[in-house]
This record gives sequence, structure tokens and C-alpha cells, in this order.
Amino acid sequence: MASHTCKTFLSLGRINVPGLGLQKTASRAAYATGLPVNTSAGNKGLPDRSGRGSSVRKPKRDVGEPRTKKMPVDQDWTAVYPAATPFRQDSIPLPVRMGYPVKGGVPPEKKGNLELIKIPNFLHLTPAAIKKHCEALKPMCTEWPSTLDTDAKCDEHFPIKAESTDYVSAGPSVRNPSARIVHLKVKLSSLNLDEHARKKMLKLVGERYSKDTDILTITTDSCPLRQQNYDYAMYLLTVLYHESWKTEAWEAEKTVADMEEYSWEDSPSQRNILDVLVRMKVVGEGEGQDVREQLLGRKEVQEYKDSVTRLKNEGESEDAMLQYKEAVKKVFNL
Amino acid sequence: MAASMALRRELCSLARIFSDISPLAPRALSACSAHRRFNIIRSHLPSTSSTSFHTATVFSSTLSSVTVTEEPDSLFQKVSVLVKGHDKAVLDSYEFFATMAAKELGISISKVYEPHKDTERLTLLKSIHIFKKHRVQYEMRTYYRCIELSHITGCTAQVYLEYIQRNLPEGVAMEVTKTTMEKIPDHILEPMWKDHPVDDKSSQ
Repeated sequence: MASHTCKTFLSLGRINVPGLGLQKTASRAAYATGLPVNTSAGNKGLPDRSGRGSSVRKPKRDVGEPRTKKMPVDQDWTAVYPAATPFRQDSIPLPVRMGYPVKGGVPPEKKGNLELIKIPNFLHLTPAAIKKHCEALKPMCTEWPSTLDTDAKCDEHFPIKAESTDYVSAGPSVRNPSARIVHLKVKLSSLNLDEHARKKMLKLVGERYSKDTDILTITTDSCPLRQQNYDYAMYLLTVLYHESWKTEAWEAEKTVADMEEYSWEDSPSQRNILDVLVRMKVVGEGEGQDVREQLLGRKEVQEYKDSVTRLKNEGESEDAMLQYKEAVKKVFNL
Repeated sequence: MAASMALRRELCSLARIFSDISPLAPRALSACSAHRRFNIIRSHLPSTSSTSFHTATVFSSTLSSVTVTEEPDSLFQKVSVLVKGHDKAVLDSYEFFATMAAKELGISISKVYEPHKDTERLTLLKSIHIFKKHRVQYEMRTYYRCIELSHITGCTAQVYLEYIQRNLPEGVAMEVTKTTMEKIPDHILEPMWKDHPVDDKSSQ
């Protein structure tokens, strides 16, 4: 079996790769290297005696010495590797080794090494080459305006942010459908809105507004092109803005349940506290509006109002409960 | 290379736009009045010309073909470049290249970081028929690298991204997320109902 394979290999000419298929001489790396180092192509197919296939035999060329021997130390490397090219072991004067080492040995050398050819190399992008490229690209760049150095200034002068993504990859198609998505972000404080308009805008927009950062995000992906989605997002912003300034007739029917924030005036809490205080006869005898107004003007009642509003709006917390407790104690002089 | 195709198209269309477009409502800041866009007539950059081996002659021809128009430049508050690949060493080299290029072009890099890798594992049957107990497992690892640039103009971003994308190695993919800053357009500054008082149309 082994001898048969030996004969097959020998018939292909003397391929001088040590250890290929011959397990006995296992001192060298037993790799099937992709490039035969030394082929005598003359023996390939028996020499044609009939003379018909003069094209079969290529004239044998001498390999010559590798280019690395002729390279001066201070050469211009950007001329050797100006563009992305596969690894050429004769052109690179470095003793690179790559691959899994044999047992008790080292990774194979660069001569005929397929691993070095497979991996993308950055030999065309040495620092010297990058500097040269950037020198040529400099005239086409513009400078950032120097006054817009902080994010705060950018937000003040350019409040609308449009965000989109481009995708670069290799595949059967160059397009990526996710590239059409546009996110438009605006801070509501930078728009010209009054109280009613702001509340109406928040109701119209719903989930797209984030309270912590005060940013309204409009995401559009219904159109096939990015430009169309961007135009649609700007159109939505315009419509929202103008509609929120409008006051419709049915908005007068807003009930307490629709309110965004808790307001103490005309609430059950106010009525209760005033009733209790009137019955306690804090301000002296008498019923009626003026007594209530007097009570409202008092400092303890105001504090009570603040603590209740805070509890309702911000939710319950240690500080809020403590504040409420203090206010109640003061109102009742405990 | 969707982005680079888009960029090239933009470059070609820019070549047709000459200073005819009057700048809209120049409400620019005094320092920002110098927004200019450089028109790149040459359709490809010299860095990738594989035909010539002498870099000197190629570069000299580029400088003559740069033109300037008065169209206002776009401003990017943040450009985030995420590269994905199967080999970490390749991404390391690419990161070195991209950061050095940004420094040479004067682009401010705000953050360079490495998100966690994603691993997709498959467990398949080893044999085509029976032998259910003998399986083989494969895994595909995707490594990431993210370079965030801040405060970059449209022209510079175009130049830098095209340079980066043309030198993207094989087997590496890229996603570029751009955040453009814009002023509030004129039609949102004042509500239109101020001049024409609304008569309630029926939403009822």
C-alpha cells in the first residue's frame, strides 16, 4: 500500500516535500502544503515522442533567488505592497512561522505555508502607508466648527438628531433592508410648546417619549428607502407639533382621571382637611367661604398640601412619608 | 458594500451639483458660516490602485480635482463603527489601522471597546444513518470591535468611512451608525394656528 502510493507520487515527478506520505521519515512536518516547492514539470506525462503536444511541455524556468535577498534595509515598503495582495513568501523579508506545531517541533516556516496565505494580511497598511494615504486624503476633509465643542452646545443649536445605520458585508446581495430605518430624536424642551401643547403632545405620542431624558423618539421603517423614512419622520414631527397647539372642543371634557399630574385644588384631600379644621374651630366661629380661605392661607395647610402632592406625584418613599407625617403633626398641633 | 456603494453614488451626484443651490436660511452661527462641501470628482481613491506601484505620481493627480461648493456640510454628533469577524487577530490589526487613520485625519475618537463575543453552537449527528449516541459539535464565534468617533463633519466622515471600508479585510463585516444633528426646521418654530385662528373642524 505504501509502496503503491510511493510509486504514484514518484510518477508525478520528484516533488521534494519531505515526509509527504512517507511515514518513516517523520522528522519534518507531515503537512500537505498547497504549493509544491520544487517541481520538475518535464516529467509530467511522459515526454511526447510523436511530437504532437509541444504545448503540453512548458519550458522549465529557473526559480532564481528570492526577492528578499535583493531588498535594501531602507527600502520603501509601500512600493512592495501598495494594495491588498495575498502573502508572497518571496517578497517578505521576515522569518514568519504559522500553523500548529508538530509534536516536539515548531510551527512550519513560511515557504509553501497555506495558513499564511489564507489569513488576510495588513502588509499594505503599515503605518508609513497609512500616513501617506491620509496625507492624500487631507484636502478632502473639513474641520468641525470650533465653537461646538461640548454636547450641550450641540443640543442647544441643533436639537434634532437623526440616526440611521449602514451595513457593509460580503454576500450574494449588497443591500440590507435594515438600512432604511431612521430614528428621529428631539428634546421636547427645545420645541416651542406651551403647557397645554406639551401635555397634548405627550398624550399623542405615548410610549415614544422617555420622561428621564425628555427625549421624543420617532422610529420610521414603513417606507422602503431611507430618504423616504426620514421625510416621513419629519412630517410626523410637524403634524404632532401643530396638532398639539390646537384646542378641540371635546378637550373641555377632560376629567380628573385624564389628568397627568395630581393637583390639590378641588380634590377630596382639600375638602377633607378643610372640613376637619372647620370642625376643630381653629380659626374661630363661622362657616362659609372666607373661613376656608383663611385656612387655606395658613402655613401648615400649605405644607400639608405640598406633602400630599409630593406623595401622589412621585410615589411613596421614606422622605415623602416623613414629610407628610411632619405636616400632619403641625396641622393638628401634636 | 452597501455603504460604499451609497457613498460613491452620492459622490457622483455631488459632481453634478454645482453652486446653484442657494443655502437655505443661513441662520448659522458666526463661527459655523464656513460650512463647505468638497466635491470629489475622482471616483476612487488612490489607496486602492493596484495598477501603479509608484505612489508619488498617483497622489499628485488627486489634489487638482478637489472642488469646493457652498452647500452646507452635514454634522455628525457620533459615528459608531462596529466590525464583526471570526478572527480576533484580524480585528486587532484592523482596529490599529482604523484608529491610526482617524488620528492622522484629525478625527476625535471617543471610545474604542470590545463587546463580548457571540458563540453559536450546533450539535449534529455524526453519521448519516443511525448512531444516535455519536454526535459532533460545531461552534461559530463572532468577535466584535467598536470604534466611536464624535464631532465629525459630513465630508470628513465620507472620506474616512470610504477609506476604512475599502480596506476592510475579507470575512469581516461592518455596521456604521451615524447620528446627524439638525436645526429645527422653519415650519416647526411657530404653530400655524397663530395667524389663522382655528375653527373647530369636526373631530366629533
